[in-house]
Amino acid sequence: MPSADLLIGGLRLRLEGGAGVAAALTLPGMNVFADDPGAAPHVTLRLDERLQRPPCRLLHSFDILDGREVCRFGVDTEGVYHYTFGQREVVRFDPKCPDAALLSPLPDPSSMRFALWLAYSMTALGHGRMPVHSSVVACDGRAVMCLGESGTGKSTHTRLWLQHIPSTHLLNDDSPILAVEDDGGVAVYGSPWSGKTDCYRQERLPLAALLRLEQRPSNTIRRLSTLEAFGALQPSCPPAMAHDEPCLDRMVALISQIIQQVPVYRLGCLPDADAAHLSHSTIYGS
Amino acid sequence: MMRLNPKMKVREVAGEHIVMRTGGSTADLTTVIAFNESSMLLYERLKDRPFTEEDAVALLREEYEVDEATARQDVEKLVQQLRQHEMLLDA
Repeated sequence: MPSADLLIGGLRLRLEGGAGVAAALTLPGMNVFADDPGAAPHVTLRLDERLQRPPCRLLHSFDILDGREVCRFGVDTEGVYHYTFGQREVVRFDPKCPDAALLSPLPDPSSMRFALWLAYSMTALGHGRMPVHSSVVACDGRAVMCLGESGTGKSTHTRLWLQHIPSTHLLNDDSPILAVEDDGGVAVYGSPWSGKTDCYRQERLPLAALLRLEQRPSNTIRRLSTLEAFGALQPSCPPAMAHDEPCLDRMVALISQIIQQVPVYRLGCLPDADAAHLSHSTIYGS
Repeated sequence: MMRLNPKMKVREVAGEHIVMRTGGSTADLTTVIAFNESSMLLYERLKDRPFTEEDAVALLREEYEVDEATARQDVEKLVQQLRQHEMLLDA
C-alpha cells in the first residue's frame, strides 16, 4: 500500500492508501514537509474512496473554496465526526481512535489541501497542536504571530517587519501550527497551508508573542488580560472546534497553556513602519 | 425569579474562570466573560435552580461576611453582566 510521511508541526503523519497519496504530495508546498518513512507516526491519515456519511447531527456549516462549496461538520450516533463538502464526505474522525482519520482522495487540489487541513486539525489537537489563522514573522530566532479577522492587515504588518526590522523572515502567512510541546514551551511551525504567499517552511521557532491587530488611526499597543487574551486567540483557531464540547474543552486547555506562557497584545495600527517599530520594541525591548 | 442560562459553561483558563455560552450549531464565542471569586460562588450555588436577587445577596453575606449594601452591589453588577451577555433567563 502506497504511503508517505509528512512532518507537520513536529508531528509525523503517515498518509496511506492508493494513488491519492502521490497526488497529495504534489499539492503546492507539500513536498517541503514530506519525509522518508522512519519512526512510528504520531497520526495516520488513510485515503478511502468509499467514504459515505451516515446521518449526522449538524454542528457547524460554512462556505469554502470562495463560496463554491458548503462544508458541513457533524457527528453521528456513534460519536464519530464527519466533514462533507457538498454531498461528499471528505474527512472522518473517530475520537475513540484519536491518532487516525479517514480522508476521501479529492481530485481538486484546493479541496484536497483543505481536507488535509481539517484532518490535521482534528488529529493534532490531542498532541497539543493546532493550526491558527495568522501571519507569522520570524525575528532573532523567535516568532511573532499576528492575529485578526481576514482583511485587518496581518500580512501587511508582517510585511512591514520584513521591510523595516533586521533579521526577519516570514514563517507562514495563513495557517501556521501553534504547538505546546512536551516540555511545556510554546512554539510555532511553518506548514503546507500558506497558499496566500506560498511560504512553505519546515521550521520551528519559539513563540515570542501574539499580536491581535486592529486598524486604527494611530499606533498603540497594550498587553491583554487573561480574558482578553483568550478572546484574541480563540477566534483564530479552527472554527469547527468551537461547535463541539469535547473539542472545545481541548482547545480551551491548549489556549490556557499558551496564554500563560506567551504575552498577548492588542495592536491598534496604521499600515506604516512605525507600527512595526512599536510592536517590535514592545516585544523585543528597545 | 431568574435562572442562569443552562447553555453556559465555565472553564478554567490561565487561572481564571472563563464563561462561555455553548451548544448548538450557532455556538457563540464572541461573548466571553470572566467570573471573579464571588461570581463563581454564586454560579455554583445557583446554576441548578431559579433564584431571586435576594437569594444571591443572602449567599454572599453568608459566605463572605459582608454588609448588605456591598453584597447587593456585587449582585447587581453580576446580574447586569449576565443579562448583557444573555446568560440570565427569566425563570
